[in-house]
Amino acid sequence: MSTQEFSPQQRDKDHGLVEVMGRSTPMVNKGPEDTLPSWPYLFVWEALLFLGISALLLAMSILIDAPLREAANPNLTENPAKAPWYFLNLQELLLHMNPSLAGVIVPTIVLIFLMSIPYLDRNFSDIGIWFASRKGKLITVWSTIYTVPLLVGLILFDQYIRVRALISEPEIIPGWIIPIGVMGLLSVGLYAVIRPFRPNTREVLVAYFTGFVVTFFILTIASTFFRGLGMNLTLPWDLPPGALSF
Amino acid sequence: MISRLRQQLRQFPDMLLQSNVWRSVFRQGYPDNDENRSLVVMNSVFLHFHPVKVKTNTLRPAYTLGLGIISLFLFLILIFTGGVLTFLYLPTTEQAYIFIQELHTSVPFGALLRNAHRWAAHLMVLSVFLHMMRVFYTGGYKHPREFNWVIGVILLVITFLLSFTGYLLPWDQLSFWAITVGTNIAGYTPFMGAEVRALLLGSTTVGGEALLRFYVLHLVLLPALLIILLGVHFWRIRKDGGLSAPLHAEEVEK
Repeated sequence: MSTQEFSPQQRDKDHGLVEVMGRSTPMVNKGPEDTLPSWPYLFVWEALLFLGISALLLAMSILIDAPLREAANPNLTENPAKAPWYFLNLQELLLHMNPSLAGVIVPTIVLIFLMSIPYLDRNFSDIGIWFASRKGKLITVWSTIYTVPLLVGLILFDQYIRVRALISEPEIIPGWIIPIGVMGLLSVGLYAVIRPFRPNTREVLVAYFTGFVVTFFILTIASTFFRGLGMNLTLPWDLPPGALSF
Repeated sequence: MISRLRQQLRQFPDMLLQSNVWRSVFRQGYPDNDENRSLVVMNSVFLHFHPVKVKTNTLRPAYTLGLGIISLFLFLILIFTGGVLTFLYLPTTEQAYIFIQELHTSVPFGALLRNAHRWAAHLMVLSVFLHMMRVFYTGGYKHPREFNWVIGVILLVITFLLSFTGYLLPWDQLSFWAITVGTNIAGYTPFMGAEVRALLLGSTTVGGEALLRFYVLHLVLLPALLIILLGVHFWRIRKDGGLSAPLHAEEVEK
């Protein structure tokens, strides 16, 4: 290569700015290049995974039959009538508050919260690290410890003491004001629990996301395995036949 | 004579790898050296999904848990089993249930097919949800992947809806009342609940119109939407430099 090729072609740009970095790759914000050829390392793993999934599914399909009950009959109500399991969390919420709040408003707010996560947490220095930090792990654990007993307690309270037995009129109090108040207090309380950790934005999001995930699973499990006739609380082994909706 | 035959046999793999037919399909020799390993990706459709070289972090099972690709595989299995099931089913209130019964009684491997479709659907809902949890807890949604996370949330919702619309098709008591409960929930939408419910059901109650709507949503509209968004999802993963990874490799060990 001649020196001509390195020298500037245009008179108005006769300099360059170069910095020597203590790294082994020219990529910005990247550590030392640490790669393997996709073939075979990635492709073979994927092929094996596909075989594994297929084998698991085949075994499952041989061993367990998909449910098929009597033909649909609009005149014969199933008791309990349950939504598919991934919507049972909403059906559980429905038992405790106004249906518009439980069935539409709360899930919409949750979806907006989920979609806004990346726009709230703008710091990417801790990308790719499970639970952000040691602190983040502790916050995940504490968020779970905080959410589980409170949710279980609330479900039991509304079954055996019942908000509507204490106040039923007007509808706006047990249907809207009390549930929104309880959900608001739970959210504020969660922040109070993790505040001593002095969390950054991501760690606060970890707490609330964990709260959401734990709530999703607790409500789903409660409604799937602990709701029998008339959607009343019961134990899994006392469920009426066909109460499992999957 | 025998030694000549042996020599020809030994040359056979090379002959095959250099033949016009092999080259027309794979365009390069067997990928057992770095050049061919690069070309096998560069020259094939897989370049749209995978880079030639992949970050070692991406290959750590403890990082991805394989959940994204598991969701994709379950979706592929669902397309295949669902496609075959379509041959054996009609969405009318008189016939739907009978067709499903026949899968269990008179169609060879019919029950297996239906079971596989059903369990794959449940597993896909679960794996997509767990995939979201994985991406959240590893911070994979961070810049520049913000919008891909948003697409992911939409894909989760579509997965729910796909499973939900398929739930009605057997037309048994379980599906009928589950969809009655589910669409009642949609009917609580403030200000326009009745309209939303009527739009879903094509009527005021779950009946033949609802069965047809759910069938078309389940077979055409929702899968088309899912596939389009899945394409964008994967394209953005490639554009953003593959899966998220710690900024500095040493942090993997912590």
